[in-house]
Order: sequence, then structure tokens, then C-alpha cells
Amino acid sequence: MSKIMVVDDAQFMRVRLTKLLTGHGYDVSEAENGEQAVKTYRAARPDAVLMDITMPEKDGLEALAEIRSFDPGARVIMLTALGQESMVIQAIKSGAKDYVVKPFDPDRVMIALQKVLG
Amino acid sequence: MNVQFLNPFVEAAFMVLESEAGVSAKRGQLALRRSAATADDITVLISMVGQVNGVALYGLSEDTGIALVSRILDQPFDEFDALAQSGIGELGNVITGQAGNRLAEAGFEAKISPPTMVLGKGTLISTLDFERLQIPLETELGTIQIHLALREA
Repeated sequence: MSKIMVVDDAQFMRVRLTKLLTGHGYDVSEAENGEQAVKTYRAARPDAVLMDITMPEKDGLEALAEIRSFDPGARVIMLTALGQESMVIQAIKSGAKDYVVKPFDPDRVMIALQKVLG
Repeated sequence: MNVQFLNPFVEAAFMVLESEAGVSAKRGQLALRRSAATADDITVLISMVGQVNGVALYGLSEDTGIALVSRILDQPFDEFDALAQSGIGELGNVITGQAGNRLAEAGFEAKISPPTMVLGKGTLISTLDFERLQIPLETELGTIQIHLALREA
């Protein structure tokens, strides 16, 4: 069973994504900001990450860069309300494997995950 | 207040409400206000900073808030608890994010803050020197008031 880490400052979004992912048989861990995401990633070593961008403590782009500095193979998919081209380019340059804009289509998220998990 | 900032928010709200909650919305009468906004049961505040500066407010009743999160999570809520508050904050975040994407395409890039929520009816929320556009969106689950106090930088 693949392990997925969900990172979002909104409890509601974590609950919703966890419900979706566990329903598809994934094992889910959660983090509520970028700082916690880095710590949880080190401890849980998830197979893939769904990462929000706008978060307190440390944002999703900073967390992405930090995670990839110690695990260059990290599979991180950004899942955010910010869809500006500049933001997408910055995320992909920083090593994000995919970029999903909220409101998200559950099928789109599942396909993105299956793709990065190979 | 630049009226061209209005449509991106209305379009974003229509799209997000439809996609997240399966609710279609109808726009009501637009008004330009200089006085403070009077809070509904729930008011979500999200700031924008960049080539557009100011704040977007989303006001709704508790019943509407509960009905919306029940639809989105597909599970009933009896009260407007912490999870429901988070859901309505996130709804405001996604609408503002989508509006921001549309504004960026029109040449106005801006960052948005995490949402803040005012709970309790009747509080006056002043946007100070910023004029405020107010537009109600009517839905089958109740009315959502969008207030925009935004300025071109």
C-alpha cells in the first residue's frame, strides 16, 4: 500500500483528501504546514506528497525545496488554489512532479498520483 | 475601486460553488459602499497584496455555511464546528485563488493571505479608505455576499 502525505493548513481539506485517498486504499499521513511537512516526510518517508502552497510557518514551495534537498527523488504534487503561470513554473522548476489547481477534480488527483507512483 | 476586479471574483465564485458543492448561483444587485460592512453570522476575510491590494470578504449565514460544507464533504454537519469553519475558510481561499488566477491573466499578479474568519452577526468591518463593492450571490443554500475593497497598486 502506497503512503501518501497530505499537506494543507485547512483541516477541512486534509479530512477531505484523507477520505478520498483512504477510500482508494492509500495509507495517509498529514501535515498542516510546510515546517511540519518536512519533519513528517523525514519520519514517514511517504511515496508521494500532495502539497498546498499558501501555508503558515513555511509555505509549500519552501517545503518542496527542502524535502528535495535531502531526497532528490521525492514525488511532490502541488495542490493549490494558486494557478498563476508564474507559480506553476516556479513549482515545476523546484521539482514538483505535477500541479493541480483547486477546486480539484478527485479523478485528476488520483490520476496524478498513479502517474508519479508509476 | 476598479470595477474590472469584480468579474473575476463573480466568475470564480460561480465556478467554485458549482464544482465543490454542485450549487449554481445567480448574481444580485451590485452596490458601491463607503460605509463599514456589517458582518453576517460568518465572514471570511482574505487579503491580496501585489498589483492588486486590499481585501475580499465573503459573508454568509450559519445555515448556509453548514449546508455548504455538508455538500462538499458529503457528510452531515449539525453545527458550525471547527471542521465546518475550516471548510468555509477553504471555500473562500479557493474562490479568491481562482479570482487571483483570472486577475493574473489580466495583468494583475497578487498574493493572497490565508483566510481569517469573523464569527458573529452585526460586527462592523471597516475597509477604511478603500471603497467596497458588494454583490450578493443567490444560491439554493442561501445568499453569499461578496465584498471587495481592492485597489490597483
